[in-house]
Amino acid sequence: MKNLISLIAAEDPTQTHHWLLPETAEIIYGGLATVIVVTLLVKFAGPMVKKSMAARTAKIQAEIDNARESKTVADAEASKIRAALGDISAERSRILADADKQAEALLVEGRSRLEAEVRDMEAKAEADISAAAARSGDELRAEIARLSAQAAERAVASALDDRAQQDLIESFISSVGAAR
Amino acid sequence: MSDARIDSYARALLEIANAEGVLSEVEDELFRVARTYESNDQLRGTLTDETIPVERRQAIVEKLLGGRSTNVTAQLVSFIIGAGRARDLPAIADKLVQAASTQQGSEVAEVRSAVALSADQQQRVASALAAKTGRKINLKFVVDPSVMGGLVATVGDTVIDGSVRTRLDQLKSRL
Repeated sequence: MKNLISLIAAEDPTQTHHWLLPETAEIIYGGLATVIVVTLLVKFAGPMVKKSMAARTAKIQAEIDNARESKTVADAEASKIRAALGDISAERSRILADADKQAEALLVEGRSRLEAEVRDMEAKAEADISAAAARSGDELRAEIARLSAQAAERAVASALDDRAQQDLIESFISSVGAAR
Repeated sequence: MSDARIDSYARALLEIANAEGVLSEVEDELFRVARTYESNDQLRGTLTDETIPVERRQAIVEKLLGGRSTNVTAQLVSFIIGAGRARDLPAIADKLVQAASTQQGSEVAEVRSAVALSADQQQRVASALAAKTGRKINLKFVVDPSVMGGLVATVGDTVIDGSVRTRLDQLKSRL
């Protein structure tokens, strides 16, 4: 202490003894003030800081809990959605399978009906063709017969001169007279 | 007209012809008039046309028959027209011919031909038919172009058909 005081007394109060270090008194006063401030801070501000930190911790914990709960709910919801998606997919597959089955059945039925209709149409067409052919044949025969008859009548009429008429009359008389 | 009325008219005409002693001529002429009436549309239309006065129609008949038939025949036809029975002229004439034939003990034979037969041919046709039927024949000849050739003889219900028309019809049927 004596050394410190003699040092201070030997010092020029207008001059610092080192360009970097403060004066000794300043160190003392400063150190004391620092101790006092720190002590006051520890004494008065510490509990408040602790309380604030605890509250913040609780708040963060609550937020974490909420987030965890939300995550759980979200996971459950996601599970439901995934399940629903799975159901939709299964329903879609079932509907598609049913549609395929119905389409196949319709296709088979349609093909069968179409084949039957084609068979009926072919049979009808063949019948119509046969009928038309027969009708044409009948009409042709009738026309030929009519034309032949006309031709025969014309030929006979042109051949029936007076001599032919007399021959026919004589032939009639002879045949009636002979057939007694 | 009813059959009874036609019979009555035929009997009346028969009696008149008998009374006049021209039955043979009258029944022959009436037969030919009836056939002409049947085959001639214009004559038939005129004689049955109610819009033409009866006197006019009778005058037409008398003019047509004048000089071609006995006066009795012309008068009888005129009487039928005057009585409004022109439509029944063929039936009355046929009935008269039938009655006359019955009276004479003969059978009516109608012979149709495309051309007129000579007297000799008519005689031979009559002989042939008489020989075939075994009965006396009262022949009535009709010229009918539709026969085309040959003859068609109808004796009662029997038809002896030697016509070209029938043969052509048979040919048509076969065709």
